Amino acid sequence: MRKMIVLFGAMLLALAPATSAVAQTAEGQVVVVHGVPDLTVDVYVNGDLTLEDFEFGTVAGPLTLPAGTYELEVYPAGADPSATDPALSGSADLPGGAYATIAAYLQEGGDPTLGVFVENNSNIDAGNARITARHLADFGAVDILANDGAVWEGVVNGVGADIEVPADTYNIKVTAAGDPGTVAFDADLNLAEGTNTIAYAIGSVAGGTFQVVANTITGLQSAPDGVPTGTAGLAGTSSTPPLLLIAAGLAALTAGAAGATVVARRERA
Amino acid sequence: MRRLTPLLIGAGLLLVTAGFLLLGDGPEPSDDLASVEQSLRPDTTSRSTISTDPAPPISTSTLPPVADPHQPPEEAKPIAVPVELKIDAIGLTAPIGPYGVDERTGRMAVPDNITEVGWYRFGPKPGEPGSAVLAAHVDLAGLGPGVFFDLATLVEGDLISVAYADGSKVDFRVVARGLYHKDELPLDAVFSRQGPPVLTLITCGGDFDRSVSRYDSNVVVYAVPAAGPGPMSPERSSVGTIGRQRNSATHH
Repeated sequence: MRKMIVLFGAMLLALAPATSAVAQTAEGQVVVVHGVPDLTVDVYVNGDLTLEDFEFGTVAGPLTLPAGTYELEVYPAGADPSATDPALSGSADLPGGAYATIAAYLQEGGDPTLGVFVENNSNIDAGNARITARHLADFGAVDILANDGAVWEGVVNGVGADIEVPADTYNIKVTAAGDPGTVAFDADLNLAEGTNTIAYAIGSVAGGTFQVVANTITGLQSAPDGVPTGTAGLAGTSSTPPLLLIAAGLAALTAGAAGATVVARRERA
Repeated sequence: MRRLTPLLIGAGLLLVTAGFLLLGDGPEPSDDLASVEQSLRPDTTSRSTISTDPAPPISTSTLPPVADPHQPPEEAKPIAVPVELKIDAIGLTAPIGPYGVDERTGRMAVPDNITEVGWYRFGPKPGEPGSAVLAAHVDLAGLGPGVFFDLATLVEGDLISVAYADGSKVDFRVVARGLYHKDELPLDAVFSRQGPPVLTLITCGGDFDRSVSRYDSNVVVYAVPAAGPGPMSPERSSVGTIGRQRNSATHH
């Protein structure tokens, strides 16, 4: 078994988004992706068995964990960690509020590695969805198309990108870069409003194990910017008297309630 | 014509406010999922002024029934898409269609006519947890008064009936009505996907600026399922708690 020691701390910190103005929470979320074919594993986090008999093509999580640094060790399933070298190991910093993917995957050429990726869990404009693509497969550069239009070109192993699109169902194709005839993936994906669908391409194209697995972050929606529902001015000039606002008293009462002004008079004809 | 009377929206607005409008002042949207979730949670501290403000004497017996968020229906029967709105109090019967977001403006897309009501299809359906939004025009230039022309005359207790695609119907009872300047419409609360079920009807109102053919405010009517469990014990919901402290004095 190939032993690889990979240190991710610096890389993860570099990937972490700029700290926002709001207080950082003390927890983050983690999903674990198994992208190494033909290897069922046990995953230890800080020495504790966390995922047992974890199989290729599986996405586990999200796990909610306190922010901090974690030691990760991946052993062949059933191996005694005290008597065996890990197949993969590394450490990962989990910033508060972050949503991270930890993936065991194949580099181009077939060497397995461990990667940590911070996903974009920022709010999404109303009506939109986000899709994130991560190339974690033993394959060269790819183009990614949505409804046959190129979204990303020349994406290489280990690289990911995300984009916001109107929520809808899209045909997604992954082809060899510059070679639309070599299609590695072709499927319709429903991208729900307010979600980030993360598609991980894993496995080996040459080895016949290539596949795309997905994970979705929900709850990222935003409210629309307003409700435009009148253009004629009839409501203000009709026989119905204008709405009477109790400006001082109730506005003060509801000042905390987002500045609502309460309609205070019944005006039904 | 009914007598013009003050409608103090105490119970209603505060009912909604306590569990619902509180959401409007949450933290600004951030790139932090956990804080996003926090921002969607009712903030029980930011509106402490409400309960200390002088209130008219009230009787709790007029509290509108409120759905109990802690006791979801035994049968988790999926709710169908709403297809028709009926409000007898203003003689309204109108089809409901699903609408999303105007990609050009970022605002809610609404029917481009004066006869249809738009349901915000990305949010809850009426009766589901959160705020189900139905929006329609108060009027439309060249077409005249819209289907929600009389929305601002609804009062607490008026019944609103929603018919669904599967033939079912659910009645909602008006608990509050508000007029918000458009800059102050609590969008995060109005479009919330969490909390007790609230049916939120929206149209335009306030002052009309002829130079831009635009009203400066939104009329918002809040209703809750009429078949709720009835008055709640205070500890079961912060909504019920504040509703008991302040109630409406509605005169007919």
